[in-house]
Amino acid sequence: MPELVIDRVTKRFKHKIAVDTVSLRLRNGVYGFLGANGAGKTTLLRMLCGVLKPTSGEIRCNGTEIRMLDGEYRFLLGYLPQDFGYYPDFTAKRYLEYLAACKAVPKDLAKEKVQEMLRLVGLEGEQKQKIKTFSGGMIRRLGIAQALLNDPEILILDEPTSGLDPKERIRFRNIISALSKGRIVILSTHIVSDVEFISDQILLMKQGCIVEQGTCREVTGNVRGKVWEYMAGPEEADRMNDTFAVSNLKNEGDRVYLRIVSDTCPCEGAAPAEPGLEDVYLYYFGTDEICRNADRSIFLRDMHQ
Amino acid sequence: MDDKMKTEKWKLSPDRSRDGSMTQEQSGPSWKESKMDRIRHEAWRLPLDESKKENSLAAIRQAAEAKQLSRYPSFATNLWNQFRFQSWKSRAAQGAVLLSAMLLSVWLNQKQIADTDSITVCSVFLVFAGNICLSGVARLFSRHMVELEQTLYLNLKQMVCIRMLEAGILDLVILYILTGLTGRFNSAGTGAYLLYMLVPFLWSDVLYLHMLTAFRNGLAGYRQISAGILCGLLALFPVMLEDAYEAAALPWWRAFGLAGALLLGAEIYGILGKIEGGDSLCLN
Repeated sequence: MPELVIDRVTKRFKHKIAVDTVSLRLRNGVYGFLGANGAGKTTLLRMLCGVLKPTSGEIRCNGTEIRMLDGEYRFLLGYLPQDFGYYPDFTAKRYLEYLAACKAVPKDLAKEKVQEMLRLVGLEGEQKQKIKTFSGGMIRRLGIAQALLNDPEILILDEPTSGLDPKERIRFRNIISALSKGRIVILSTHIVSDVEFISDQILLMKQGCIVEQGTCREVTGNVRGKVWEYMAGPEEADRMNDTFAVSNLKNEGDRVYLRIVSDTCPCEGAAPAEPGLEDVYLYYFGTDEICRNADRSIFLRDMHQ
Repeated sequence: MDDKMKTEKWKLSPDRSRDGSMTQEQSGPSWKESKMDRIRHEAWRLPLDESKKENSLAAIRQAAEAKQLSRYPSFATNLWNQFRFQSWKSRAAQGAVLLSAMLLSVWLNQKQIADTDSITVCSVFLVFAGNICLSGVARLFSRHMVELEQTLYLNLKQMVCIRMLEAGILDLVILYILTGLTGRFNSAGTGAYLLYMLVPFLWSDVLYLHMLTAFRNGLAGYRQISAGILCGLLALFPVMLEDAYEAAALPWWRAFGLAGALLLGAEIYGILGKIEGGDSLCLN
């Protein structure tokens, strides 16, 4: 069973540091990377796949640098990129057969594997259709099928559920849960529920750094006492929405229910609540959004004046 | 027979190896090694413990079963797979190019076209043929496909090399047809004729390959077609120079040929370097 070690890895694009001295040890299990857009998740996953070369630091698989392992490492790998590429004129079956050949799946096993994967993602009936006729969700499912084709020991999925409807998303989560035994599954997303249910370890990324890591219970435990519930009037609710990180806002008659994430009690009458992963997400990533909202409010106010 | 062999084996001096050369003990060192040699030579006389042998074999079998064996495809298999999964359009285009090369050569010979016109037609044809053959490489660089291909066992870099090899073989066949059937009747001589063919071909390949990774975006496909057409037009450039195909201009052709070859080498090296680094592939 493989072990991946990310050792002080940094990736710099000209003047921007996308990943900043990240160190991790990944063994069996599902690792969910959560972070806002531009947090560095995709860059880190690309380095884990060997697509991008780290500016400094190294990634080792069972003690050997992955670039030294070369084909042997890629043999263990299944990857679904964020922007999944395909040849539009290929049928789903031919596309998977092509990738099976490139993934060194033996020819006699490849046909069987292709059918198994098409069945798994529910594309068996469309296997002879050209990919250019597929919907976004179907293309995403095809992407998941190709990632699993070689029975990878290291499975890396970048935004795997984007474009999937809720039913497909649940189905995908179940597939990943079933597959997670005896392999490393790394998935990156900004959809909190995706990682909440299936991840053994949750890693929060912000500005290229891992800001929090742990099980769902551990991560949510860290913001206990920082989540508040409050019923406010409409005007007060608007004001609080601009000032605090609000994870939920719901109209209930003439009052508004607010769920606020704040280090201190936001106002008199607010009651502490049990935190969820969405609250954690907002705790770490919400402040930037509030700044942007505040900027927007000032801009709109200036416009009206 | 066995006994005889054993006796002979026994007769071999422990201080002397089978080919009669001196052992390490005689030349100086290790008493331990000499002792090990002696034990090895006498081992046949020791009785075998069958149960221990069975246990050891069982342990070896168990270790062998636990060991994960990976079967990696050979180079020939990879080459075949890349050919097998080419699109039918690509195969049809390559077939058409081959057929056209033959028909063109026959037609030029039959019509007895003037030397310079024949050279121009053939060199432009070779440029277009080269671009068509390289379209297999261009396909690998389709939008978003590169990132996935780079993570496969047979990665993008290896795929590019294989496709270039296939394209190169086809180009050579076309060049052989054109030079063999048309060039030998040409007054310029086969060597000069080959040079007139190769110079535009090399420079067009440089431009075509450069466009694979330059300015990549959604319009990359159209840009590639534009580059192909531009290459063909550039191959017509010598027609505008009156004495381009004269013997006096041959040193210039040689110089451009050498420069083209060097640039092509640098371009291929650059593409492979870009793939290795990954930045320019992912940022588009």
